[in-house]
Amino acid sequence: MARSRTKTIKVDALARVEGEGAMTLRIRDGRVAGVELRIYEPPRFFEAFLQGRDWTEAPDITARICGICPVAYQMSAVHAMEDLAGVRLPEPIRALRRLLYCGEWIESHVLHIYLLHAPDFLGYPDAIRLAKDHPAEVERGLQLKKAGNEIVELVGGRAVHPVNVRLGGFYRIPARAEFARLAERLRWARDAAAETVRWTAKLPMPDFEQDYTFVALRHPDEYPFNEGRIVSSAGLDIAASEFDDHFEERHVEHSNALHCALKTGGHYMVGPLARWALNFDRLPERVRAAAGEVGVARAVRNPFQSIVVRALEVLFACEEALGILDGFEPPDAPFVPMEPRAGVGHGATEAPRGLLYHRYETDAEGTITKSVIVPPTSQNQPRIEEDLAAFAAPRLDLDDTTLRDQCEQAIRNYDPCISCATHFLKLTVDRG
Amino acid sequence: MSARADWVVLGIGNPERRDDGAGAAAAEAIEAAALPGVRVLRGPGDPAWLLDAWSGARAAYVVDAVEGGEAPGRVIRWDAGAGALPAAFGRGSTHALGLAEAVELARALGRLPERLVVYGVVGAAFGHGRGMSAAVSRGAAEAAAAIRAEIGALRAPAGETSHA
Repeated sequence: MARSRTKTIKVDALARVEGEGAMTLRIRDGRVAGVELRIYEPPRFFEAFLQGRDWTEAPDITARICGICPVAYQMSAVHAMEDLAGVRLPEPIRALRRLLYCGEWIESHVLHIYLLHAPDFLGYPDAIRLAKDHPAEVERGLQLKKAGNEIVELVGGRAVHPVNVRLGGFYRIPARAEFARLAERLRWARDAAAETVRWTAKLPMPDFEQDYTFVALRHPDEYPFNEGRIVSSAGLDIAASEFDDHFEERHVEHSNALHCALKTGGHYMVGPLARWALNFDRLPERVRAAAGEVGVARAVRNPFQSIVVRALEVLFACEEALGILDGFEPPDAPFVPMEPRAGVGHGATEAPRGLLYHRYETDAEGTITKSVIVPPTSQNQPRIEEDLAAFAAPRLDLDDTTLRDQCEQAIRNYDPCISCATHFLKLTVDRG
Repeated sequence: MSARADWVVLGIGNPERRDDGAGAAAAEAIEAAALPGVRVLRGPGDPAWLLDAWSGARAAYVVDAVEGGEAPGRVIRWDAGAGALPAAFGRGSTHALGLAEAVELARALGRLPERLVVYGVVGAAFGHGRGMSAAVSRGAAEAAAAIRAEIGALRAPAGETSHA
């Protein structure tokens, strides 16, 4: 007779993820019986809060959703409103928006690589213990993150919750001398990013691959930030305005955050691995060469390698920022005037953690009557649960502490931004 | 953040999250006093920012809101040189690393200033929106006054000597 053997592994307050949430892994008779990613921060009623507000307020209000990726919220908001108004931006403003996004990718990715994820790979409980044994690397990470802060501070007006973004452009365009000082800093950052790629590529990688459906923006010429069509590795190719036709948010009992799925069925991954797989041919030669040197393939299906891809995206962001600054000609005016109108606008941009979709409806006076915000972690949540179930299955004989630590590392592959997704972490292994 | 000062006062937290504005409010009060040689900054409190903000300073005073079993508005003083900060200074829901981790990271990297004093103001409400409770406003003012007194006490003898 088979002996009943049940176990639950629970992480009550997952460390080193942005925000708060919990994960339960239920094990019954030696098999994974269920994985639930729960979000217990109260839902964030930003979508409702936006109703009745002026359309010009959307970028500053939505920037408050996340302290790590406020630029992403601002960018999706302004692009949705500009889509609604039918406004096209002059090239220098478009370039400055990309520069600002470079800053946020550097800040966010470097924080995750050095202070949150690297300790897992090297067997340290946290960044403090990592710093004791690897001070030079941690210092490099701190300085590199600071370079990202400096971009956001200069273009965004301040390093946290930037205030310089407005519909149609910016409130103020920085002076040439300020750009020159930033470029000097970024030349150092580019070298540090290349070192970061080499360092992360040497980290011991768990052997684990999944067959992902990747979803990301794709632009005709550029690695995507603010523009492009939404494409998938399964052949989807749609405009941002068609998002609702192909994706749906579903409420699940165990979480405050909505889960997003393809209407045709199936979960998908957004974020660095998705962008990388779908836009490899849009990367500058220097970044492709750096990937080749460390053996990173065009399509990466081991989610633990996301730490290397993040480092490659940091290198890309430094390279891109320097390219924008090289010969930058300021616009004649800091913004394009926009008139309110009744309508619907869609904005999809690439937050550090992946696709961030906004949709707004406004009346003729520009009052927001409806808004929909779909953050990347909502989209990745079901995929994180699937990863955990597959990752844990051959590891159930590990003791609970080791299994829990390894599961946490697997969750961090997604750099989940729990604050955003609730609009969330804790891990419990339940063996019954 | 280029100019250096002998003393830095760092108010951390998010004024858009109610009582989490205590650090910024205390910093603002000290800034209003325009004390010579004292640099005041407000920010998120992430490690990169903190290590850079107190780099080169003789002494750094950090004010932050804390959660804990104490009465709202109570001010707790902690000398970071004496040991690790209590759990109340740990990570908040919107900060990837909290002040306690940032201080220990600085200690591991040998980047603590000669003197680092942390003032915690116990908060109660950390929901969305501006405006602190009256007790926390009083606590922020109390922390600011205590920091001014500490800087004054340090400066008095130093001003009369040749900084030998």
